[in-house]
Amino acid sequence: MHFEGTADIGAPRERVWAFVTDPEKVSRCGPDVQRVDVIDPTHFKVVARAGVGPIRTTFALDVVFSELRAPDHASVRARGQAPGSAVEMTNTIDLADAAPGRTTLRWTSEVTINGMIASVGARLMQGAADKITQQVFACIKEQLEAPAAAST
Amino acid sequence: MRVQLTVNGASMQADVEPRLLLVHLIRENLLLTGTHIGCDTTSCGACTVLLDGRPVKSCTVFAVQADGRTVSTVEGLEQNGVLHAVQEGFTKEHGLQCGFCTPGMMMTSVALLERNAAPTELQIRQAISGNLCRCTGYVNIVKAIQYASTKMGEAKAEKQPAAAGRA
Amino acid sequence: MAVEIGGIGHSVGRKEDARFIRGKGNYVDDVKLPGMVYLDIVRSPYAHARILKIDTSKALAIPGVLAVITGKDLVPLKLEWMPTLMGDKQMVLPTDTVMYQAQEVAAVVATERYIAADGVAAVEVEYEPLPVVVDPIKALLPDAPVIREDRAQKNNLIWHWETGDREGTDKAFSASDVVVKQDIYIPRIVVASIETCGMVAKFDKVDGQLTVWMTTQAPHAIRTVIALVAGHLGLSEQKIRVISPDIGGGFGGKVPVYPGYVLAIGASVLTGLPVKWIEDRSENIQADSFARDYHITAELAAKKDGTMKALRVKTVADHGAFDAAANPSKFPAGLFGIVTGSYPFEKAFVEVDGVYTNKPPGGIAYRCSFRVTEAAFAIERLVDILALELKRDPADLRMQNFIPPQAFPYMSTLGWEYDSGNYAGALKLAMDKIGYAGLRKEQVEKRKRGELMGIGISSFTEIVGAGPSKHFDILGIKMFDSAEIRVHPTGKALVRLGVKSQGQGHETTFAQIVAEELGLPVGDIKVEEGDTDTAPYGLGTYASRSTPVAGAATAMAARKIREKGRLIAAHLLEASPDDIEWKDYKYQVKGVPAKSKTMAEVAFAAYTNHPQGMEAGLEAVDYYDPPNLTYPFGSYICVVDIDRGTGQVKVRRFFAVDDCGTIINPMIVEGQIHGGLTMGLAPALYEEINYDKDGNIQGGTLMDYLMPTSMETPSWETGKTTTPSPHHPIGAKGVGESATVGAPAAIANAVVDALAHLGVRHIDIPITPWKVQQILKEKGVAE
Repeated sequence: MHFEGTADIGAPRERVWAFVTDPEKVSRCGPDVQRVDVIDPTHFKVVARAGVGPIRTTFALDVVFSELRAPDHASVRARGQAPGSAVEMTNTIDLADAAPGRTTLRWTSEVTINGMIASVGARLMQGAADKITQQVFACIKEQLEAPAAAST
Repeated sequence: MRVQLTVNGASMQADVEPRLLLVHLIRENLLLTGTHIGCDTTSCGACTVLLDGRPVKSCTVFAVQADGRTVSTVEGLEQNGVLHAVQEGFTKEHGLQCGFCTPGMMMTSVALLERNAAPTELQIRQAISGNLCRCTGYVNIVKAIQYASTKMGEAKAEKQPAAAGRA
Repeated sequence: MAVEIGGIGHSVGRKEDARFIRGKGNYVDDVKLPGMVYLDIVRSPYAHARILKIDTSKALAIPGVLAVITGKDLVPLKLEWMPTLMGDKQMVLPTDTVMYQAQEVAAVVATERYIAADGVAAVEVEYEPLPVVVDPIKALLPDAPVIREDRAQKNNLIWHWETGDREGTDKAFSASDVVVKQDIYIPRIVVASIETCGMVAKFDKVDGQLTVWMTTQAPHAIRTVIALVAGHLGLSEQKIRVISPDIGGGFGGKVPVYPGYVLAIGASVLTGLPVKWIEDRSENIQADSFARDYHITAELAAKKDGTMKALRVKTVADHGAFDAAANPSKFPAGLFGIVTGSYPFEKAFVEVDGVYTNKPPGGIAYRCSFRVTEAAFAIERLVDILALELKRDPADLRMQNFIPPQAFPYMSTLGWEYDSGNYAGALKLAMDKIGYAGLRKEQVEKRKRGELMGIGISSFTEIVGAGPSKHFDILGIKMFDSAEIRVHPTGKALVRLGVKSQGQGHETTFAQIVAEELGLPVGDIKVEEGDTDTAPYGLGTYASRSTPVAGAATAMAARKIREKGRLIAAHLLEASPDDIEWKDYKYQVKGVPAKSKTMAEVAFAAYTNHPQGMEAGLEAVDYYDPPNLTYPFGSYICVVDIDRGTGQVKVRRFFAVDDCGTIINPMIVEGQIHGGLTMGLAPALYEEINYDKDGNIQGGTLMDYLMPTSMETPSWETGKTTTPSPHHPIGAKGVGESATVGAPAAIANAVVDALAHLGVRHIDIPITPWKVQQILKEKGVAE
C-alpha cells in the first residue's frame, strides 16, 4: 500500500529535522508505542500495538534510518513481526522551508503487510492504515508546535 | 476461579481459568459433547445453548460469565424418555443430515417457540439465521420447527381444554 | 409387504437420527482418551518466504508444552515430505521455504488445548520474504519466479492434459455459421463443512498399534497410505486402525491427507501419548479444503438454425503450491471431459493446464464428482450465450439439441458412454412445474416497466460412480467398493461397507437395499461403516459413488446370500432347488405358494439345519467393479428479480427436476437435493476466496466467507423423472452432488437473462450486488 501526505508545521526546519530523526522523540508519536530501545543513532527497536478491527496485536519492529541528508531528506525502513502477522514499511521524509518559522514536511510510506492483519483485516486495512498515518503526523506536528518544545 | 452453574437442571461446580469458554466447560468438564464447535468468529451457531432461557453462542461466553446461572443443552431436551417436540420434528421432517449443526439449531428453535408459539416461515428463518447448516438447505429445518410448533400447540390445547376454545 | 420391510422406494425414517437429535453423536472432537494431549500448529503469514530461524525456546518454557516439532525434526524420519493423491509431493513441514500463507511451519504439543495455543503464539519464526506468484496466467510466463525448486522441471506448469480431436474440432469451427466464445472464471471456494478437520492419533509403544479417529471420507485408503508413507517408522498395515466415526459433513474436503494429520500421528509416535488435533475454522478456511479455481475459455460452434456442432475449451487450472487435488490418477482434470453435457457434439477438444501458485493446494472434488461443476457451468453458460446470439429461447434451443432418449447408451465424442437419459423429459417437467410460458410473458411486461426479472435454465448431465478398474484408481488402488452381509440365526442382519457416510444416511439407505433384496425388515438390519478393522476394503464416499458402487456391491452380496438361501429353502421344503423361486420376498415352490420359507426361517436353518455337506452360516461379501460410471441428470429453472438500487439478486423461485434412476429413499434424496442446491447457490451469489498480490487471503474467516443462511436460501422446489441405469443392479445412479453441479449455471443464467436486453452476455460468479450495481450504472439503469 502506498500513502503520502504533506504537513505544514509551525516550527523551523532544523527543529523539525532534529525531532523526526530522533528515535526517542519520533517513536512516541507511533501508534500505541510501548517501548523504545535505541541501539545507535540510526537503529532502534520499537514495540507497538497496532491492529485492524478485531485483530489487535503487538509488533516488534526493527527500525533503521537508511538515508540521512540533514536537514532535507530522511528515509526510514521498519520491519516487524507479530504472532501471525508481519509488516514492512519504507518511509521518506522531505523538509522544505515554508515561511519564517514554518516547515513543509512531505512524507511517503510504502507498506507491505502479511498474515492475519492483512487477511482477516483485509476489508478494514486501508481505512485503519490511513487513520494511523494521519495520527502519527498530527502528533509530530503537535509535539513540534507545543510551546514547551521551544525550549528543548 | 470457582464457578457454579445449573446445567440441564443439575447443579455443578468447577474451578476454571477466567479465559475458559463456556462451550469448553460444557464439552470437556461436563462431558456433554452434544454442543459443537463449528467456527471461531461467532458466525456458525453450532455451539448454541440456552443461558437463563436465552439462546447464546457458548463459544463467545466465558464460563465465569455463566456463574450462578442456568444452562440448557441438547442433552436436556429429552425428559423421562420423551423427546421434545423439536427433536421429534427434526427427525420426522428430515431436518438433519450430518447432525453437526443440529443441537445448536434445535436449541435456537426451542427458544423461538417459547417466545413465539406459532411463528410464520419468515419468523422461523429469521430466528435460525444465526445457525449455519451446510447439509440440509434449511427447507426441512423450517418444516421441523413448524411440526414442533403444531405439536406443542396441540399439547397445550390438550392440557387446557377450557382455554382451547378461547383464541 | 414392501412397506412393512421398508425396502427401496420408501421414505423410511433415519436410524442415525436417534443419536444426533440427542446430542449423542460421536465426532472426532468428542473422542477423549486417558492421557490425551493436544496439537496446535504455527502457520506462515507469508505466501512465499525462506525460513531463517525458528526459535522454540519461549514456547518450550511454557508449563504444559511437551514438544515443538519443526521441519528439521522430520528429516531424519523422512517425513518432511509426503506423496499427494496426484503423484506430486507436499511438505508436511518446510525445512527452508514456505509456499503459501497459512502453511504449517511448526507443531506444538501440550497437555491442554489452551496451552497448545499459547505455545503457538510463543514460537518465533524469522522469515525472508520471496517473490509471490498468485496469478496462474502470469505464472506461466517465461520470466515468472519458479515456485517449486524441488522439481526437475523449472517452471510452474504441473501438467498439460487434453482430450478429443483438435484438428477435427478446428475444422468444424471453421465450417460453422456461428461461433460463440466466452472467458469464464470460476473462483476458488472452500468446502467449510460445519465440522472442521481433525484427528485423535493413538500410538501404543508396547504393541506398535496405531489407532486413529479421523475426519476422513476414505478410511481404508488412508490406512494404506499411512502404511506406505510411515512404514519405515515401524507402522505395519495390520496394526493400523483408522476409525472414521460420525463426520460432520465431508463434501470432498475430508478426502485429502492434510499435514495436520501426519503431525498428529508423528507426535503420538514420538510421545507415546494419544494426540488430538482439531483445526480452527480460520485454519480450515485459510489452509485446506479448496476447490474450483478454473480459468476457462470456452467456444461453441453451431449452425445458424441452432444445431450445436463443436466445442472447444481451454482451461488454466490454479492448483496452488502442491498438486494435492483429489482426482483419479489418470484424470488430472477430473471428469472435466463431461463438458459436452447433454448435447451430441460431433467434435470437441478440451485442454487443461495445471499451474502452481503460492496458494494452498486446491482441487478438492467439492460435491461435484471430479470437476463436473466446472464443466456443467461452462457448457450451460455457453448454451445460453448461443441462444442470446441467435435470438432463440434458451429452453427451445436446448430441446432442439438434446441427446434423444433412443440414443442411449450414448458414446460422447470425448469417449464417455452415457448410460441412460431423458433430457427433454426433465426439462419439460421443470418448465411445466414453474410455468415457463407464463414467466416469459411476465418478463416481457416487466421489461416495459424497467423491472429486471430473469429466468435461467441448467440442463446438466453428471458423471459419477468412479469407477471401472480399467480407467480409475487413486494412488494405484482401483476404485471398486464393497459390502459384507451376515445374517444371524434369528433373521437379523449386519452389513459392513467400504464407504463412509458424512450425513447421507447410509445406515438407513443401505439397510433398505438389503431389506429389498432379502425380505428382512429394515429395522432388523444394522449397517456399519468407517472402521478399517471390520469393514471390507473400499475407496470411501465422495463423487456420489456410494450408491453406484457400494450400493451395487450390497445388492450383489445380498443376491449371493439369496442364492445360498435358495439351496437351504429347497432342503427345508424338500424340493429341488430348481423348483424354488424368490417371490414376494419369500422362497416359494414354483406353483405352490403355500409352500414357502422366509429369509428369517432360512437363516435359522443355516445354523441349525443346513444341508449336509454345505458350510453353515449365511453371509457374503462382494467387491464390485462397476462396468461404467452412471450419469444422473436434471433440469433446473431459476427465476430472479434484481433490485435496481442495491444490485441485489433475489431468487424468487427455483424448480429442480432431478433424475437419479432408482430412488432408494425419496425423503433422503430430496434432502440431498436441498443441500446441494444451497451449495450451488453459495458460489453463484456469495462465496469466493481471493488473494492480494502478496498472497494474503482476503478474509479467511466466516466473517467474510459468506455461507448462505436460512435468509438467503430460497424454498427449493423439487420434482423428478426416473430413468434407471441399465448397468446398475438396482438401477440407481447416485444423487448427492447433482444439485451442486447444476445450480450455479441456472442462477448465473437467470441473472444474465435479466440483463441481456441491456447487452449483458456474461457475469462471472459470485454475482455480488456490487458487480450488478456496476453493470446497472454502466447501462444507465441504476436507481
